[in-house]
Amino acid sequence: MSAPNCLRCLVRPSAALRLSAPPPASALKPATPPLTAAASRRAPFSTTPAAAAAPKSSSQGQQAAAKGHVRKGKRLTLKGKKKQKSLDHGKSPLPGERKAYRKRITLSNDNAIKVPWLTDLAAPDLADPANVGKVLALPPTTQDQLRASEAFKPTQTWGMFRQPAVLVRKETVDLTQRMQEAAAARKVLRMVVTGNKVTGKSLMLLQAMTHAFLNEWVVIHLPEAQELTTAVTEYAPLADTSPVQYSQPVYALKLLHAIRKANADVLAKTFTVSEHSELPQSLPAGSPLLAIANQAKEVDSAWVIFQALWNELMAPAPNRPPILLSLDGLAHVMRVSDYRSPAFEPIHAFDLALVRLFTDALGGAVKFPAGGAVLGATSRNNSPRSPSMELALAQREAEQQQQQQPGVEVPQKDPFFRGYDERVDAVLRSVQVLRLGGVDRREARALLEYWAASGMLRTVVDEKAVAEKWTLAGGGVLGEMERASLLTMRV
Amino acid sequence: MVAIIFGVSFHEQKLVKKALESFYGLGPQTSARILAKHCIHPRTKIGSLPPKTITALTAELSTMTIENDARRLVQENIKRLRDMGTYRGRRHAMGLPVRGQRTKNQIETAKKLNRVERIA
Repeated sequence: MSAPNCLRCLVRPSAALRLSAPPPASALKPATPPLTAAASRRAPFSTTPAAAAAPKSSSQGQQAAAKGHVRKGKRLTLKGKKKQKSLDHGKSPLPGERKAYRKRITLSNDNAIKVPWLTDLAAPDLADPANVGKVLALPPTTQDQLRASEAFKPTQTWGMFRQPAVLVRKETVDLTQRMQEAAAARKVLRMVVTGNKVTGKSLMLLQAMTHAFLNEWVVIHLPEAQELTTAVTEYAPLADTSPVQYSQPVYALKLLHAIRKANADVLAKTFTVSEHSELPQSLPAGSPLLAIANQAKEVDSAWVIFQALWNELMAPAPNRPPILLSLDGLAHVMRVSDYRSPAFEPIHAFDLALVRLFTDALGGAVKFPAGGAVLGATSRNNSPRSPSMELALAQREAEQQQQQQPGVEVPQKDPFFRGYDERVDAVLRSVQVLRLGGVDRREARALLEYWAASGMLRTVVDEKAVAEKWTLAGGGVLGEMERASLLTMRV
Repeated sequence: MVAIIFGVSFHEQKLVKKALESFYGLGPQTSARILAKHCIHPRTKIGSLPPKTITALTAELSTMTIENDARRLVQENIKRLRDMGTYRGRRHAMGLPVRGQRTKNQIETAKKLNRVERIA
């Protein structure tokens, strides 16, 4: 089909006409005299100034009308006046300042009353059953170590008391005793801490770490698993790995700094068994492990240094310290990560070298020379669903219960569900599960007495008050007890 | 500090993904693939890229049909339609909607974009 007319000059005739024709004279000149003229012919005896009498809006309307036809929709103004620009509020915070404020961790409150009977934790205290239901303070050096390894979280209420202190629970003693037994037998305790929200899972990790620090273990803590798998930190493929693994050099550097700061004493007392020429400054055998950690300054060499340190800690030699490897937010590593491989395939979290290190240890593939513990804690905040992990934990828990009462049924896989992950199943096949719930009334009472002694709870702590708070908190759930009694104080 | 990718300078605080998507003809899908190819995580900012990666990105982009090449491609397609004398070509030339929309109102986008020498 041929075009009926020249396509180059296809312009809408009406539009062309409107453009080319000169505007009508009436459009330029107002048809009627403006109202201001009428206003100027005011009554001679009026005391009102002439300017005040001039109706401004109507004259504007006249001018708008004088410009020609205005389509209604084009001049849509909401509520007449435009909002005025906000005034200068002073200097805005620098980049990162707001986040630093949000994430700050305050460990003491000078306005809180000093609790006279509060004693510092000593090395055997957390594993002593006589301490169940007592509140004990964290000694200053341990505070520094815990802070360096980011064990404290901004949502916890450390900032309300004069000194950070923890309640020793039955589960705490249970966990620390098992840690001690494992270290004594040079075995690895592999355990997952789970439970409902605000039942104290992260705090249980903190207590395990405190126990480890006090007993001169080496503690390697991954404070937020989501930092590793949600694709927010640099990654790079590792050479000579099949299937390809990925290192996370920036995170590794941060972790090395934390390890160095938290474990400086122990690392200085432990010596290398082999020569390290791959490091930026090569080290002879017999130099302290702290010297390896001290070399971590550049992102480029961070992963090599971390591996050298880890291999040294794993080396079968006498006088090796026990190791605690812990991770918070387990569900994040039990899934496919948000990273993509160069071929645009999703990378499984287990293919990230740092996560692999943890999961291998949790699965039992790694032997620590002096024993130790691998702890993972699930989280109920912003955690992805991991059906395999949920099932595996339920199964392990049922198996543990079976040993006491044989009638318990072990949950099985849903045969019609495809979301299970075999690699996750394999790792969680033989872990122990520690389920946390509410504390009992005796522990709740100890905690309330501590709060009251610090001046943070303004009631008499008697049977009735304890029963009330305990019940309000859904049967002694620690976080809910805080909400019911402590956080009502927050202004 | 600014970094220059494919002849355009970007501020160091700009996300690499957004910087790539600022090129005509390069969208979210392609940029995600380019990032994965160079092992750059999606929240990387220009400032934290090593110079080697920046040159690699520039080399990668120079092999792709983006910016003026992509624009020319679109213009050629429209010109071909018009030269064949198709209805679509004619509607492009007239600055009217091409795909059967009503023209009583709401054709601002068509007025803006549909022309033979299409810019965006």
